[in-house]
Amino acid sequence: MPLPPTIPFIGITWADALFLLLGGVVLGSATLVVLGRDIIRNGLMLILTLGALAGIYVVLGASIVAGAQVLVYIGAISVLILFAIMLTQSKSASAQLNFQTQALPAALASALIGILLAVALGATQWGSTVYNDTPDPAGTATAAAVLFGPWLLAFEVASVLILAAVIGGIYLAMKPAESEEIEA
Amino acid sequence: MTDTPLSTAPLLLILPLIGFAFTAAFGRRLGKRAHIVPLVAIAAVWVLAMGLAIPALLGDPALGGEGSSLTLFTWIASGDLIFNVGIHVDGLTGALLLVVTSVGALVHLYSVGYMSHDGSYWRFFAYLNLFMFSMLLLVLADNLLVVFAAWELVGLSSYLLIGFWYTKREPGLASKKAFITNRVGDVGFALGLMGLVAVFGSLDIHTILAGIEAGALTGPAATVIALLVFCGAVGKSAQFPLHVWLPDAMEGPTPVSALIHAATMVNAGVYLVARMSPLFAASHEAMLIVAAIGIFTAIFAASIAFTQTDIKRVLAFSTLSQLGYMFAALGVGAWIPAIFHLITHGFFKGLLFLGSGSVIHAVDGEQEMPKMGGLARKIPITYATMLIGTIAIAGLPPLAGFWSKDEILGEAFKFGFGWVWLVGLLVAGMTAFYMFRLIGMTFWGESRVNPAVRVHESPWTMTLPLVALAVPTIVAGFLLGFPFADGILVHGLEPVFAPANELLGHEHEAWTLFGIDGLLMLASVTIAAIGTAIGIRLFSSDHTQLLSSITTRLRPLYEGSRSRWYFDDLNDLVFVQAGGRVARALWWFDRRVVDGAVNGVGTIASSSGRGLRQIQTGRVQNYALGIAVGLIAMVIVYLMVAA
Amino acid sequence: MSMIAGHLEPYLVLSSLLFSIGAFGFLARRNAISMLMSIEVMLNAVNLAALAFGAFMPTLAGQGVAFALLIIAVAAAEATVGLAIVIAIYRNRKTPLVDEYDAMRQ
Repeated sequence: MPLPPTIPFIGITWADALFLLLGGVVLGSATLVVLGRDIIRNGLMLILTLGALAGIYVVLGASIVAGAQVLVYIGAISVLILFAIMLTQSKSASAQLNFQTQALPAALASALIGILLAVALGATQWGSTVYNDTPDPAGTATAAAVLFGPWLLAFEVASVLILAAVIGGIYLAMKPAESEEIEA
Repeated sequence: MTDTPLSTAPLLLILPLIGFAFTAAFGRRLGKRAHIVPLVAIAAVWVLAMGLAIPALLGDPALGGEGSSLTLFTWIASGDLIFNVGIHVDGLTGALLLVVTSVGALVHLYSVGYMSHDGSYWRFFAYLNLFMFSMLLLVLADNLLVVFAAWELVGLSSYLLIGFWYTKREPGLASKKAFITNRVGDVGFALGLMGLVAVFGSLDIHTILAGIEAGALTGPAATVIALLVFCGAVGKSAQFPLHVWLPDAMEGPTPVSALIHAATMVNAGVYLVARMSPLFAASHEAMLIVAAIGIFTAIFAASIAFTQTDIKRVLAFSTLSQLGYMFAALGVGAWIPAIFHLITHGFFKGLLFLGSGSVIHAVDGEQEMPKMGGLARKIPITYATMLIGTIAIAGLPPLAGFWSKDEILGEAFKFGFGWVWLVGLLVAGMTAFYMFRLIGMTFWGESRVNPAVRVHESPWTMTLPLVALAVPTIVAGFLLGFPFADGILVHGLEPVFAPANELLGHEHEAWTLFGIDGLLMLASVTIAAIGTAIGIRLFSSDHTQLLSSITTRLRPLYEGSRSRWYFDDLNDLVFVQAGGRVARALWWFDRRVVDGAVNGVGTIASSSGRGLRQIQTGRVQNYALGIAVGLIAMVIVYLMVAA
Repeated sequence: MSMIAGHLEPYLVLSSLLFSIGAFGFLARRNAISMLMSIEVMLNAVNLAALAFGAFMPTLAGQGVAFALLIIAVAAAEATVGLAIVIAIYRNRKTPLVDEYDAMRQ
């Protein structure tokens, strides 16, 4: 049975409702990421944020990006972050302050940034198309045509970048080599 | 060489220059023979100079009258301002050449003997030749800019020669004093030259004099420019108030005193005023001031000479006094007597100085007259020639001094300057007195010389110039000045001063023996005789009791005279002490205010740096916050501007 | 009909809010890893904006997706290196708190 065009009793489309739900999850968990006390809990909240964002990407019609988000961001980067957290834990972690002395000015600054951005972005006439339900871009095929067409160089450079990052990361994180024993 | 009458004139300049360069370069190696080249050079110069001077004075058609000019080269050509270097010879030039080269040559010969023991023998002759070059350039030049350059060069040579024994303290101080005092006068001179350029657009002497004759410069402008030019003369010829350097210049060797400070350099001021006579004639006020300063210097210096004990200093003050006479003569319009006196004074003062050098040499370096006495028998040639010189300077006929001095006084009276005449008369008497005092203390009476000293006559290289100078001292006055108002000099110099006389309205008058001229002559001879008599009476033998009673009764005058009327002390107080205070105050200002401002800028920079350094916390997160804030600010500004 | 999900602006507003949250976390947290997590949040906000533009502007068809994929790649590289650095510093300083990294202080 096909879904009704709008949610019953509330009267907003499913797409809207999905957007609002996922958006709320994103904002909420992002807030917890930055405000939480326990750093491992923050990492998990990050995973939640990234997941909800993947959902929004699907609403936008960019399913491949959603897939990449889950695979790379949640599957690799977040795991990496969790590893790093565990490697750098200190005993007195719970007793420490979580915020710096400049937290208040930082809050003000970021609030201002957010407001400015939101107002500027929201108020500008972008000349964008309005869709009935959810956006309908051409999807993966068009993206592939762009990525392996005009943006091919960027694609290749990105792979080189990843290679460099891998090598660099390995080198930086190596334990320093022990100095050789001096013959007595 | 073109066939002008002045074809040999450039040699007058080149020869001494070569002498100087050669001796400066090779003199040290030549040792005792270093005098040969300079001496030969000057001898040649004398011959050439006589070849020009005598015809000029005798009224030769080419050299007499207006004279001849020879342009050598263009020195500066800047737009409309052109300054040429050239030579001009006329009667006035001839007169100066006569004195400068004759006394100069004899001094060179004299120095061979006088400086024979000196280690820097060669340096002396090099400087002497340099001086001769400068003086000849000054006298021969036809452009005031060249005269000014030669003026300074003469001052330089004087500085070098006064401070010849620079390893001692006094000569160094004296040479500095001479140079600085001259410089003060030269400031006025330079300003006067600028005035002349402003009015005439050139410093060519003929252009300027012709312009003045035509009436281009009159009134206050003429007075100012004339007085400014006179400033230079005041400095160079040591008139009051710039006279202070001449007595101290006696620290130099005696030949230097004879040549520079008696016969040549100090005459440069007189020559300048005489050469620029139309300029002065154009302004009565200027002439009056010249006469006043001249005659004041005359009596001022004579009064100091009364009490001096150093033989050279008596002669130095005497020179100041006689120069005062010359300027007084110029100031009243008696141009020719002034030049006449310049010539005669050059001869007898040169004689007196060289003679004093011979005396000093005879008593092994002693210069104080209280330590001399009774030398007449022991150094007869020196005594005889000095006596001749003294009679001449006292103005007793028929020696040279009488002729020239009498003409000055006579013309002063006849042109209506009775006060100049009266003071001049008084000075004549004073001159006779103190000169015979000098003779008496040095040559007569008991010998007060240090017994250990063996008094000996000087070598021929020194006594020959004395005798040689005694000749013109005796006859020059007669030769050049007789008949009165109609002699050789008058005829030779009349054309030179004709423009000035025209401006003044003076006419040639005949000389009347049984009229005013005779009376005046009688007056001057009488007063000279009185002065001589008193001098001889007091100093012929030891009259210590009489002398000390006189000095006790006139103690304040005596002390004042001995201290040169405290003028040097006044200079010290006003310029040295006060100048020092001003300098110290300015130094404080420079240190505190000027440097303080500069240092203050530095301090501001470093303290603000120290303050701003607090921003560098070393923490990346602070920097990140800074970035965020900056970003917000830029966006806000952009939004406001774009709106 | 969709008042929100069919327009561009809501996505952009969400993106900017997310960005500001990430900025706050970056500027205010003491732990270096927290700062890195906040950076990831910010990057994701940018990603969202890029995708939104790509979806709603016809001229940018396909480019939004390509851009977002590249951003993910770069973010991965950056996270790698960043975490490696944090671990290296931790080994040196024994603390992950950025407050205590002030060796360059004047």
